[in-house]
Amino acid sequence: MVAPAIALAFIPLLLTVLIRCRFYFVLFYRAVLVRIWKDCATGLSREERAYQYVLTHATPGDPDSILDAFDVWCSKVEFISNIGPKKGKVLDRLVMELSPLTVLELGAHCGYSTVRIARSLPLGARIYSLEMDSRNAAIAEKIIRLAGFDDDTVELIINPSDEVIPRLRSDYGLERLDFVFMDHWKKCYLPDLQMLEGSGLLGKGSVIMADNVLFPGAPKFLRHVRKSGLYEWKVHRATLEYSKGIRDGMAELVYQGTK
Amino acid sequence: MGVDIGLEFEGDEDEVSTFQEEHERERHRAKISDGDRERRKRGNGRRKRASRAEEWEGESQARPERRERGRRKRTRSDQEAKGSDRDEEVQPKTKSGKSAKTRKHIKNEKTRKMEEEEGEGEERHAKRKKKHGSAKKEEREEDGGKRTAKEKAQEVKRKKHKKVVETSSEPSEEDDNDEEDNEEREVRPESLSSEELEKLKEAVDERKKLIQTLRGKPWPMKKKCVTLRESQEFVEKYEGALGKGKGRKLYAYKVMMNKKWMKFQRDFENFKTACIPWEMKIKEIESHFGSSVASYFIFLRWMYGINMILFCLTFGLVMVPEALMGRPYGTIPRKTVPRPEATSAMDFAVLWDFGGYAQYSVLFYGYYNNQRAIGWLKFRMPLSYFLVGVGTVAYSYMVVIRTMARNANESGVGDDNSFNFNWKTFTSWDYLIGNPEMADNKFASITTSFKEAILEEQESRKDDNIHLTRFLRVLANFLVLCCLAGSGYLIYFVVRRSQKFALDGLDNHTWWERNEVNMVMSLLGMFCPMLFDVISALENYHPRVALQWQLGRIFALFLGNLYTFIIALMDEINLKREEEQIIKFNITMWEASLYNGTVSVNSTAPAITIQPADVPRGPCWETMVGQEFVRLIISDTMTTYITLLIGDFLRAVLVRFLNYCWCWDLEAGFPSYSEFDVSGNVLGLIFNQGMIWMGAFYAPCLPALNVLRLHVSMYLQCWAVMCCNVPQERVFKASGSNNFYMAMLLVILFLSTLPAIYTIVTIPPSFDCGPFSGKKRMFDVIQETLESDFPAWFGKVFSYASNPGLVLPFILLMVLAIYYLQSTSKSYKEANVELKKKLQTQNEENKKKKKLAALKAQMDLEEARKASSQTAKQQKNSNASQQDQESDEEEDHSSSQRLHHGKNGRHAPPPVREQEGQLPATRAPVPRSYQHEHHGAPGYLPGFPRQSEPRMHRVPSLQRH
Repeated sequence: MVAPAIALAFIPLLLTVLIRCRFYFVLFYRAVLVRIWKDCATGLSREERAYQYVLTHATPGDPDSILDAFDVWCSKVEFISNIGPKKGKVLDRLVMELSPLTVLELGAHCGYSTVRIARSLPLGARIYSLEMDSRNAAIAEKIIRLAGFDDDTVELIINPSDEVIPRLRSDYGLERLDFVFMDHWKKCYLPDLQMLEGSGLLGKGSVIMADNVLFPGAPKFLRHVRKSGLYEWKVHRATLEYSKGIRDGMAELVYQGTK
Repeated sequence: MGVDIGLEFEGDEDEVSTFQEEHERERHRAKISDGDRERRKRGNGRRKRASRAEEWEGESQARPERRERGRRKRTRSDQEAKGSDRDEEVQPKTKSGKSAKTRKHIKNEKTRKMEEEEGEGEERHAKRKKKHGSAKKEEREEDGGKRTAKEKAQEVKRKKHKKVVETSSEPSEEDDNDEEDNEEREVRPESLSSEELEKLKEAVDERKKLIQTLRGKPWPMKKKCVTLRESQEFVEKYEGALGKGKGRKLYAYKVMMNKKWMKFQRDFENFKTACIPWEMKIKEIESHFGSSVASYFIFLRWMYGINMILFCLTFGLVMVPEALMGRPYGTIPRKTVPRPEATSAMDFAVLWDFGGYAQYSVLFYGYYNNQRAIGWLKFRMPLSYFLVGVGTVAYSYMVVIRTMARNANESGVGDDNSFNFNWKTFTSWDYLIGNPEMADNKFASITTSFKEAILEEQESRKDDNIHLTRFLRVLANFLVLCCLAGSGYLIYFVVRRSQKFALDGLDNHTWWERNEVNMVMSLLGMFCPMLFDVISALENYHPRVALQWQLGRIFALFLGNLYTFIIALMDEINLKREEEQIIKFNITMWEASLYNGTVSVNSTAPAITIQPADVPRGPCWETMVGQEFVRLIISDTMTTYITLLIGDFLRAVLVRFLNYCWCWDLEAGFPSYSEFDVSGNVLGLIFNQGMIWMGAFYAPCLPALNVLRLHVSMYLQCWAVMCCNVPQERVFKASGSNNFYMAMLLVILFLSTLPAIYTIVTIPPSFDCGPFSGKKRMFDVIQETLESDFPAWFGKVFSYASNPGLVLPFILLMVLAIYYLQSTSKSYKEANVELKKKLQTQNEENKKKKKLAALKAQMDLEEARKASSQTAKQQKNSNASQQDQESDEEEDHSSSQRLHHGKNGRHAPPPVREQEGQLPATRAPVPRSYQHEHHGAPGYLPGFPRQSEPRMHRVPSLQRH
């Protein structure tokens, strides 16, 4: 059989792999193992637990404190893939600069990013937030209302994005989208983008922001963006939310119109 | 514009009177408003000639030509009697391109038919004169008294041709004219007088010079091409026409042969590059992965070349003679597989174990016989074996040191510290990159290097928490040391165990156990560097420093492993030698018993019928050492290839195809594709070579094996790099590290020859195997040769020469010589540094002066503008004033150019540069035009070529007008 010394010679490899991938192991533990354990222990879903925490720890009507509470919960207690404070700053700055009047958000999840965008929007702006899962959407609704945004500012649409986008113009009377924020299923980035292009809602200068383009990553989306020539684009490099060692990025596309 | 050109030309013509003209022009500037109306009239012509002015721009660069012309001007007074319109002859040059010019020159000299051209030149003269007023005329008359008269005489003609001139401003027509000229010329080259021939020769020389210096000229490519073609045509056409009568033919023949020879040389060069093995492959890799990866492959190729020569030596001088002329297999015990091993001698395992038939063949030391001379050639086999062993090492030393010396000359030019950002800005780009992805990466890496450099600058000022970094670094080194010690102990443990196995008999153990040592060594050599890499992230060093640490650690690891292995081998050698003593004793007993037996049975001698396979024999430690090294090389090669296939290829395949069904992006995200690890690969190669050097004496097949390995790995790695690696994110420059690798190779060479020499010198050879059997030491073979093969006097001379009384002074002399050379080279280096410093300070001074001059010039310009605008206001003609300003600017441009030409025309540039600051009233509108002066100016500093700016900038500025 294999001599023990040869097995010992593999120790450096083992150590290397352990050290190299430590962030991934931590992420796996927090995002999967802890979640399963808590699901079994409490009988609530992850989002509901987050909502409970926020409800007990944040000041109602103050979006900042709600976001802070979320951040604390996600980094200390459990893991939810919100946009996070660091990448959130990029988003904040962009929204401040653009001051868009119509915003489309794909994937509200718990409403973290909706609150984040809504608090830096100008007066009279309206944000359409899409969420596929009705349980998540209920929580997002509660969070948004808790933050003090009413129906005029935030409209939550509970439907998958590929159904809603073609009907945006007819059902919601939208003419043009100034800002689109994508944070739903990474595989839907590309079809949704193409649908948006086809719908004619994007005008020259419309900005599309896509989170998590490097990890978990949306390679096809990036390839399309690179090839199509419709966009001026750049990737803001950062790390994955609530984790230090995993590289991630947000893609910022500025629609240039057909050439 | 035309006027300006004229002016410029004027300055060119009369270089001596630069200052005078300077003043003159100043006066003109004052009078500019007067000439306003005239200029407006001439507006048309000006616009037409704008394009010509551009050509002028380029032309003004051809300084040698310019000087030449100046010389011709100076000799003008002699020729004035004959050639009447010298002045005009030069004028047309301003108009047409370079090629047309000299042709016209010659033509005008001789035929003087194309009056139109001259007419135009005349016209320009006239214009200029009109503009300059009487002062100019005076000067002109001063210059050549006759000329004005002649001009007057030609006045009539000029008028006649005036219209032709106006239309002939198109270059095409001029070209036509030129071609006509050429035809004319071609018809009668014989009818040239000697003087004309002289001129022709001059022109041809000029062209040649132009062709030579064309590459360095800051022109657009298109223009270069055109100029080159035209010049070549010209040279081709007229070169043959030079010389007289018979001489001409000979000359033409010579020129033709010269051309053929050049062409042949060029083709031969191409052929030579085509013959360089793997050149295209390496170039392709270079274009995809940058020069650092390519440098590995170049190193690999170089290694291959060296091994090829080592292989030729051992193969041609040792293995082949033994195989051809030595005793055939099976004649004597050392050339036969012993009886107990005979059953497994043809096993498949022989291929990687190198036992059985492979062990008893020319591949190993033990097979060789100690017969002094073999075959009909009387080939001295033992001597040859020894000398080849010494020769391979000596050759390797020589090559490595020579290469190092050559590299040392190339490097050591730039110092990295002083102009960090400048270097980064201007020399970062790798021009061999041909792959967009690689270009992206390079771009990113340059950007990050800038960021890092800036950060470094900032960090060098403030140092926060030095204790933490220190602690981390110490910790990292501690961890690495632990790792090294662990790997060393593991190897030692394994080797001890393997000795136990060897004592038990190898056949009782599995393949794993038998090859444990090599496996463990290879695995450790593979995985420990990865661990080091991870640990070094703790240290937070600059990547370059980190790379050096990493290399040092891997080096230590490999060296430690190798020396542990050697120490274990030494133990084994001692064991074998003890065994040998016992066997030797047993053999005498055996022989005695054999003889006793035979004697007792029969007095005749049938006892010779013993098979050589049955004869008991010693363990032959030399073959054992050789075998160990061969096995090591084989397992090392195997691990390398398997790592390549698993670590690179399999990973790439997985990443590529799992990406379709994975929950994150594998390609851009975590596992990604692997990068090519240059340093690790180079170190692997170097240590592999070290093993070859160590073991080659005991296993002559090692160089052959290595050649095979390098050959295969060349193709395999080329393929692997192109198919499953991605370009590095941080691209390092290759040139700097080249000598570093060489130095490592030298160290390894030294360290690997040490044990080999130690064994050769201290341990007596085995008694019954190898070419030195029966001798006390291996090097006794030399003494033996000296005694028996050379005449007696030679031995005597040698013994005298090896007398310490003679050797010591010789060594002393050598040491002295080395010391002397070292000190001289050091002083040269110091002188170089001093010179560099001097150049630097001079350059800085010049910069300061130029800045001052530019400031002054700007102030002057402001004044002039004010003055002109005031006068314009007085005239109350807003339109005119605008135009005036325009033309004013033009003039300013040209004046600065003129100044610059005037300077360039001088023969002693450095003093000019010194004077520069004091030149009166230099009127450059922008400092930019001063900078142009750097270009190709004879006095520009060779060490600071980065200051210069592309000259093209000036062209658009002129087009504006």
